[in-house]
Amino acid sequence: MFGWLEKNPFFFAVGVFVVIAFAGLIEIIPDFAQASRPLVGTKPYSVLELAGRQVYIKDSCNACHSQLIRPFKSETDRYGMYSLTGEYAYDRPFLWGSKRTGPDLHRVGNYRTSDWHANHMWDPTSVVPGSIMPAYKHMFTNVTDLETAFAEALTVKKVFNVPYDKDIDGDGKIDVVLGDSPADFEAAKQRALQEALVIAKETKREDLVNMVKEGKIPEIVALIAYLNRLK
Amino acid sequence: MNWLNDNVNQLALLGAAAILILTIAISAKYFKDIKEGKSEGELKDENWDGIGEYKNNSPIGWSLAFIGTIIWGIWYWLAGYPLNAYSQIGEYNEEVAAHNARFESKWANPTKEDLLGMGEGVYLVQCSPCHGIDATGIEGKAQDLTKRLLKKSVLAVIEEGSAALGDKEMDGQGKFGYSMGEMPPGLVSGADAEAVAEYVANGFKGNERGAEVYANACASCHGPDGRGMDGMSPNLREYDDKIIEAVLEHGKQSVIGTMPSFKGMLTKVQERAVAAYIRSLSE
Ligand code: HEC
Ligand code: HEC
Ligand code: HEC
Repeated sequence: MFGWLEKNPFFFAVGVFVVIAFAGLIEIIPDFAQASRPLVGTKPYSVLELAGRQVYIKDSCNACHSQLIRPFKSETDRYGMYSLTGEYAYDRPFLWGSKRTGPDLHRVGNYRTSDWHANHMWDPTSVVPGSIMPAYKHMFTNVTDLETAFAEALTVKKVFNVPYDKDIDGDGKIDVVLGDSPADFEAAKQRALQEALVIAKETKREDLVNMVKEGKIPEIVALIAYLNRLK
Repeated sequence: MNWLNDNVNQLALLGAAAILILTIAISAKYFKDIKEGKSEGELKDENWDGIGEYKNNSPIGWSLAFIGTIIWGIWYWLAGYPLNAYSQIGEYNEEVAAHNARFESKWANPTKEDLLGMGEGVYLVQCSPCHGIDATGIEGKAQDLTKRLLKKSVLAVIEEGSAALGDKEMDGQGKFGYSMGEMPPGLVSGADAEAVAEYVANGFKGNERGAEVYANACASCHGPDGRGMDGMSPNLREYDDKIIEAVLEHGKQSVIGTMPSFKGMLTKVQERAVAAYIRSLSE
């Protein structure tokens, strides 16, 4: 058999590849499977948070902001606990980023609040003198695309078995309610509107509260829901 | 020629020279061998299409390296890797422990200037985005730390009560920033409320009616002097360590806005320092 392989360099190469790849697989796969499991208690994004995440991606916040705190004292002093792989289990795609023009945002929900974000996104220099971050005034009038966010949540629930409608932390209550079919969108929208109203009130901006009351969620509210969730 | 003083540069230069000399010497030797060398020794029996091979012992250096690698491999497998493996988190933990030890011994007995300097640093990094670089709260976006209380805040607290530093519902019995718990709403109203708010916001001065209302309705909890009876309730006269300790631990949600909790973000010394710095602002 080996004589045959020696005469057929193509199959010989395939054989070599398989042998080497096998060694790689038994080293990589167990570690990978372990690391990609969600951290205990990590919850999937609500529809509103997912919509905010899409705004974050659409406006390329990740071009200037990372979401990965490295285990160095200088970083944990400023941002908090270093990041763990399991925290990204529901991030599709992950937004680690590779450039820090601005600070890391992986735990920004711990030390910034809704009203601060609203001030900052409207005009960054009003709270941070000399900030070079652009203002995002259009987010205060653009309406969030909840349909896409709902569709994304439903898809990951069905395809990747993301634990929506499950009791994750074991307190006997369902943690993140979603639904099972596109027909549940209306109910999901009502829940998102309730969440959004709380945040709009926290920003203390009448225009945002009014928009939410009219059933339209401004992009900024979804984005703040997402940023507050980063803890 | 400053760069020659650097020992890394010196090493690199030495290395480059050694590589150059070795390359020349070794290639010269091989060129010489090709030109003049002759093969000799005892031929093996096998030959392949007329190409034969001499019987040679394996070179000593090679044999030693081979056996050495096997021994090292066994050591590495059994002891080297399991006992000395590098871990990034391990290095981080050591770095933090070493830094904390150094930090604590360095600042075991900080002077007032040390505290103010450190406090200003902490303040600028952690607090200034909300309270402003000049600590006046950026036009009402957060508490003005150069003054104790605004009349507006006192009035709102009187009307609505206050459980701003905790969570009334937590675990069914509430969790509060001060041992007295929450302040009930509607203790006084109308002109009385106006007067006492004026009196308190003005630093416990002027306004006799306010002083009277204060003594009747508020002193039992906030103390006759307004200093919060040793941290049982908030000091209404000036910032003290207890207020800052409480707000850093619990955060606060009230009339002005929401302040997040800074639990675990600052060391004890840093908390004292930022407290000293904030007290110095309104002195
Ligand atoms: C051109 C680069 C750039 C882009 C794009 C950008 N930022 Fe920033 N961001 C900065 C800089 C610089 C700072 C630091 C100064 C400041 O706080 O304003 C910052 C600060 C922040 C902070 C405060 C973080 C802290 O710890 O104080 C938040 C939150 C933030 N950005 C969110 C966003 C979001 C959300 C987006 C996308 C809508 C975004 N940024 C897009 C450059 C950028
Ligand atoms: C039953 C005891 C009690 C009485 C009586 C009381 N307070 Fe308070 N007060 C508290 C407590 C406890 C807090 C802190 C509660 C919290 O927010 O966590 C507080 C908070 C406050 C605050 C907010 C301080 C800050 O840092 O934001 C103000 C202002 C205040 N009280 C004013 C008054 C005035 C004026 C009166 C009299 C009309 C009064 N209080 C009567 C217990 C009391
Ligand atoms: C995200 C914004 C934000 C940050 C960051 C922040 N604060 Fe605050 N802080 C507030 C707001 C808003 C209030 C007013 C809350 C209210 O009374 O409505 C406040 C209130 C306070 C008070 C008054 C508490 C009382 O009981 O009267 C103190 C003291 C204080 N902050 C200190 C700090 C210190 C020290 C830091 C930094 C370690 C800090 N804050 C960081 C937003 C912030």
